[in-house]
Amino acid sequence: MTNLSRRTFLKASATVVAAGSVPAYFGFSEFKKAATEESVKKVPTFCHGCTSYCGIIAHVKNDRVWKVEGHPIHLKSSGRICARGHGMAAYLYSKDRVTGPMKRVGEGKFEPISWNQAFKEIGEKLESIVKQYTGNSVLWLEHGTHRKSYVDRLFDTIGSPNFTTQYSTCFNAKTNAWLQMTGTSLNGDHKNAKYMIFEGRNFAGGIIPNGMNHITQAKEKGAKLIVIDPRFSEIAKIADEWIPIRPGTDLAFRLSMANVLISENLYNKTFVQQFVDGFSEFKRMNKEYTPEWAEPITGIKADKIREIARDYAKYAPQAFIEPGWHGLHSHYVNSTQTAQMGIILNALVGNFYEKGGLMPSASLQLGHLDLPSIENMPEKGARIDGAGVTGKYRTVEPSRGIAQITPQLVQQGLAKAVFICNYNPLRTAPDPEEQKKIKDAELVVSINIDWNETSYYAADYILPEHYYLERLEHPQAVSGHISHDNPQLALRQPVIKPMYDTKNTLDMLKGIADAMGHKDLYPFTIEQEVEAAIAPLGITFEQLKKAGTLEFPATVKPGFPMKKGKPALPTLTGKIQFSADLFKIDGKLGIPVWVPPLVEPDPKNDHEFRLIHGKQPWHSHAMTTNIEHLMKLSEKYQGTFMWLNASRAKKLGIKTGDTVTVKSKIAQKKVQVKVTELLHPEAAWLPSTYGGFSPKNRTANGVGVNFNDFIPIMVDPLSGSTMAQEVVVTVAKEGN
Amino acid sequence: MAKYGLLVFPERCTGCNACNIACASHNQLGVDVSYNRLEFLETGTYPNVKMEILPVQCQHCDNAPCVSVCPTQATYKREDGIVAIDADKCIGCKYCMAACPYEARQLNEKRVPEKCRWCPEMLEKGEQPACSATCMNEVRLFGDLEDPNSQLNKELAKHEVYQLLEVKGTKPSIFYVKK
Repeated sequence: MTNLSRRTFLKASATVVAAGSVPAYFGFSEFKKAATEESVKKVPTFCHGCTSYCGIIAHVKNDRVWKVEGHPIHLKSSGRICARGHGMAAYLYSKDRVTGPMKRVGEGKFEPISWNQAFKEIGEKLESIVKQYTGNSVLWLEHGTHRKSYVDRLFDTIGSPNFTTQYSTCFNAKTNAWLQMTGTSLNGDHKNAKYMIFEGRNFAGGIIPNGMNHITQAKEKGAKLIVIDPRFSEIAKIADEWIPIRPGTDLAFRLSMANVLISENLYNKTFVQQFVDGFSEFKRMNKEYTPEWAEPITGIKADKIREIARDYAKYAPQAFIEPGWHGLHSHYVNSTQTAQMGIILNALVGNFYEKGGLMPSASLQLGHLDLPSIENMPEKGARIDGAGVTGKYRTVEPSRGIAQITPQLVQQGLAKAVFICNYNPLRTAPDPEEQKKIKDAELVVSINIDWNETSYYAADYILPEHYYLERLEHPQAVSGHISHDNPQLALRQPVIKPMYDTKNTLDMLKGIADAMGHKDLYPFTIEQEVEAAIAPLGITFEQLKKAGTLEFPATVKPGFPMKKGKPALPTLTGKIQFSADLFKIDGKLGIPVWVPPLVEPDPKNDHEFRLIHGKQPWHSHAMTTNIEHLMKLSEKYQGTFMWLNASRAKKLGIKTGDTVTVKSKIAQKKVQVKVTELLHPEAAWLPSTYGGFSPKNRTANGVGVNFNDFIPIMVDPLSGSTMAQEVVVTVAKEGN
Repeated sequence: MAKYGLLVFPERCTGCNACNIACASHNQLGVDVSYNRLEFLETGTYPNVKMEILPVQCQHCDNAPCVSVCPTQATYKREDGIVAIDADKCIGCKYCMAACPYEARQLNEKRVPEKCRWCPEMLEKGEQPACSATCMNEVRLFGDLEDPNSQLNKELAKHEVYQLLEVKGTKPSIFYVKK
């Protein structure tokens, strides 16, 4: 069965229906018959096409996944999912999946081994590394925090503090600023808003389907949408106005907007008085940032800045600046201050905890298994990447770490064993040639589903995880990106039996821990974990399995959190702190002031551009590029092309379809160009998607280039982010 | 008897192509075939620019050129307005491809000029087909043109609409909302 193509699968189902009369081609007329007569099992779970984790319902026929639909209840999807969600489901049947544990036997050469052998060898190696160099030399890299609770038990046992997510390459300037200034995280209430500013945030590219639906609904009711972005992104298409900004200068725009709000008395004084700490200091330091000051920096007319600030104040509190994620928040040396200004601008108009402004996402208190505590826990040293460590990266959240410097940690001998789970730093972190050096660690284990670059070039062992449609996970409270009043709980559960010799990560950790002699470190199953998680909620496992997503009565109401008549945010003052204490250390200012970008293209050099990037709506950065149907879209729509502004391209004699050489300090690559009016002249824009270089991921391999090819490994000292748009490239037509 | 029609709101489309892939999954299409496409049009010069997106697919014309040129009646018009294909009768002559002014057909690996089927199995149940059901911006609305109470007719009454290439006289069943 597993060797049949998806189309053949439907032939097979038609065969059942047609009782032996197999049509030569399964065409349209047969389809209806098959669709109506073949029984379809519908299993709810949630998507893995990006980190929105939309609820989906998988349609299964003949034990094969036919298609998926959006889950009607789930907050993120509300019945709808994007192209990558559909494509990701089909990828279950990819020819490039890793079908069992693999051991490297040479460059690009692997041999299949048994799970027992994998656990034994990895466990023994890890044990010897811990004995020789201490547990602090062990690093776990993961896309997010899905498996953190499992990893923690092993890391507590061996004494490693080094659990690291990819967030430093994505959005941690934002989360860091929110944590320091508010102790919480709020989302736009798009549905009820009257005025929305999306700056460096493309909801229609990094898609939350229901979020987009809320925006279009609000627009139908007359809400205004302003998009500020060097590129006319997909969301700009439905905006009332697109305002191109010089890349890297969003901080200046935000500083001057605050200046207008304060100098013209448009800010909400009552709110600020009651709920803001550090306003007068901010006001004093913000005085010089007039729209006239910002105009030459941002390229936005002073009058336009005034107009936006006034409109924003007019519609407040049913107005917000979208807090955003990846867009502005790991790209510049001033990203942390830009994120701080996002909070400040929202607070100035008093939209916190207001309908149509910023609202929380309802949360759920889940239960936990009562696990035996770990005995003789070794003392953990400081994180090897320096996150949260005084004298190193004190202000970086230690729970997230700094992913991009892993090769340096390996070279310095600090990281001896590296586990990389559902993450592909060789393709998605800066400077892939440097990232390849992760392989020099004494032990590298890649836990993934296909042959990504990290597995192919760096891993000593590849441990294939069950595909997301094959596995059960700890249930998730649905949260993030869009506000909602009702808590929801979603379950990822298998919709078919695992197709290959794969495992879930908990069982992998059990196997490794066992081999290290730490017996019974994980005395539980995921089923037991689910039972414990839902125990306080008054629901049963069966109910959750059947529903996939459950919604509970509303817990969120408008109104600033108060305790005994005082503001009660989890900050030192209980208020929103314009001056974040943590950022004040080492003589730094806690208040955002203008910080120019680190590098600037030379305006006199026609060949120089700032390289910027963004998501394409049918790909999730690099993780979906091996999906054939999605790559077909890239081919159809010139999706791999680098964008150049028409007037700039003309000066260089470049037309759409031409191949150019793009050169930065660290790399030189060739790429085809799309000439367009939809981009700021100073920028060259690349989709953040392509440049696959694993020969065993055959669809993605060799297609296009990636922004990470061109950026050196850098660390923003405040948030630890990659500063992935602080790079100047030269562009020249091939042959010139 | 129902007569199916579709209303498209091009202004809402942000080009995500979920329609395309949902359709490919539902219909189990080969990777080289797609039943719908988006036409992108840039107008103006920087920074005063606009982007227009037009979803295009088989228009299920009342006066369908593909039906009249088909030598074997492999392509035919159903009573409910759907232009359908009987793949067994198709000889792969490609006349229909040449006749269609909307370039709605694509040859599949069996050399049958495939195109949008309008998912009758969903329409008959009163459901939206895969492309429409998955669209986050609600760009497409399917329904019964004969039923005065259908949501489709209600929306049609509210908006000024046009059809693609009306000048060709094909009488499409797809209506596009003017801005």
